[in-house]
Amino acid sequence: MSLERRMAWRNVWRNRRRTGLCVAATVFAVFLVVLSVAMAAGTHEKMIEDGALLHSGHLTITGPGYLDDRTLERFLVADDDLRARLDADPAIRGWAPRIASFALLSLDRASHGAAVVGVDPERESTVTTLSERIHRGRFLSAGPSGEGSREVVLGERLAQSLGAELGDEILLYSVAYSLETAYELFTVVGTLKLPEPGLERSLSVIQLDEASRFFVYGDRLSEIALRLDSADDVEPVAARLASRLSGVEIHPWYELLPELEQFVILDDLGMYLMLAVLVVVVAFGILNTILMAILERTRELGMMMALGLRPGAVFRVVYWESTFTAGVGLLIGLLLSIPLVLVLAQNPIPLGEEMAGMTEIVGMEPVMTFKLKPLNPIGSAATILVVGALAAVYPAFKASRGRPVDALRTL
Amino acid sequence: MSDSIAEARGVRKVYDTRGVETVALDGVDFSVGEGEFAALAGPSGSGKTTLLNILGALDEPSEGSVIVAGQELGKLTATELSDLRLAKLGFVFQAYNLIPVFTARENVEFVMELQGVGAAERHARADAVLEEVGLGGLGAKRPLELSGGQQQRVAVARAIVGRPRLVLADEPTANLDSETAARLLDLMAGLNRHHGTTFLFSTHDPMVMEAARRLVRLKDGRIVDDSRSAGG
Repeated sequence: MSLERRMAWRNVWRNRRRTGLCVAATVFAVFLVVLSVAMAAGTHEKMIEDGALLHSGHLTITGPGYLDDRTLERFLVADDDLRARLDADPAIRGWAPRIASFALLSLDRASHGAAVVGVDPERESTVTTLSERIHRGRFLSAGPSGEGSREVVLGERLAQSLGAELGDEILLYSVAYSLETAYELFTVVGTLKLPEPGLERSLSVIQLDEASRFFVYGDRLSEIALRLDSADDVEPVAARLASRLSGVEIHPWYELLPELEQFVILDDLGMYLMLAVLVVVVAFGILNTILMAILERTRELGMMMALGLRPGAVFRVVYWESTFTAGVGLLIGLLLSIPLVLVLAQNPIPLGEEMAGMTEIVGMEPVMTFKLKPLNPIGSAATILVVGALAAVYPAFKASRGRPVDALRTL
Repeated sequence: MSDSIAEARGVRKVYDTRGVETVALDGVDFSVGEGEFAALAGPSGSGKTTLLNILGALDEPSEGSVIVAGQELGKLTATELSDLRLAKLGFVFQAYNLIPVFTARENVEFVMELQGVGAAERHARADAVLEEVGLGGLGAKRPLELSGGQQQRVAVARAIVGRPRLVLADEPTANLDSETAARLLDLMAGLNRHHGTTFLFSTHDPMVMEAARRLVRLKDGRIVDDSRSAGG
């Protein structure tokens, strides 16, 4: 170890109590930063997962212009090549074709406009959790439906506004792709309880082949929803698909759920603001510790400068003292926080009844989840080290600028 | 007189404390030559420490010039002054002389480490010098584990180990009892005799004045007497 670093390291431990307090503050800050960032990462990932798995999927493939003009005119055709590519991609866990349009739903004298989504029940369950959100009855039957067994699942609120019960036949009335009038009776087999009241009030789900027949849509599709291994894979998979598929558009979850993306950004912003305040407090703690240490050692620094220690070397000694103080706190903080986060990542914390009620309203599982991304400890370490280094600049400059004779006169 | 190592020419030093000017040195001409064992003496406020600091490149004069080892100090930057002190000068201060986080041996090695002396040579020279000042077995002790006299001996060892041309000692015996002070003085006199190390003291200790072969008396910032003993 060089003379400067050796001296700095030993100086750090001269006043153990003061250094200990400063290190403890740094440990606390690192611990809180790592834990908060991991909690935000885990919670946000869970929200994105839950949001994507509710309906949109991580990625959605559509025909050109569909997102701006959700009509039957904007379609894609899932030919064998497209299906083969989706099946072959290892990052795609499942994909679900859909036909989506609007219809007027009528039962007796009640009628209500709603989205009609045709899904393949088997494939849908590999992408979304729609089939698990049954409130009453059951989800759509799997496999091709026979003539006369048309089934519909309604959002619970939609069913309530229509006064529909299980087994009721409701009339779907719409305009087909061929511009002919389309109307059919569908039997209510179940209702869905969804976290989004708006969606629950306006969603009806029928089988894909029924939708194809009803809207006279042939082998056309409105969209294909994809489920990936992780929301982190969205960008690379979207880029890969975009390079391989032509005549379609690939939309990540944040284009389909912009309000969720904005929430995540705002939540991150609030958290980072709070952490910034914490880090600034730690910076002042380090600054104070180093300044006090310098003040106490003014005469000693003067003596060393008299012996020939250059001003630059004095600066570096003080700088290293600050970096070592921050470094020790950082190391202990990481050693404490990383294992804890890893344990919490495997064992989410169940929320209390009140909190659970709130999370269930927004469609989240009532647990507090943590996720340790490599950037978390690396970013925390870099932040604390930079803060330690910045906090040292003033005392180091002050110490190195002094004249030896003035320092030697200090009592 | 031998060749001059440090020379002050027409040096005047005025301290300005909140608008009140105090003249510490008033047109001093002084030089110290190779191999001298000299002392600056005088009452408090006479300017002896100020002159020592100025000759040691620790302070600059308000007027006049100072030449140390052939270099005019007024023309040097702070870093160049550090390098000059490191290469040509050794210092022994009255108190707070040692680096408390270093052992006695590390304190002695400090100057050599700054000079860029290799580790093996550093260790050997430090051990030899500590032996010479009578602290052979105490190299691993930290300053707080040593007595005041032992600390000053370490300081002397550190001052001479870098092979400086001039050792400046500011009241080196002020905090020592008379017996310890006498032993320290003997040590420095021996180093002067055997190695030709030049010493310049500032002191008001009669024992140091008696031991010095040249005694320069200052009063009110002026040299009032400059006398040499038979051996000087």
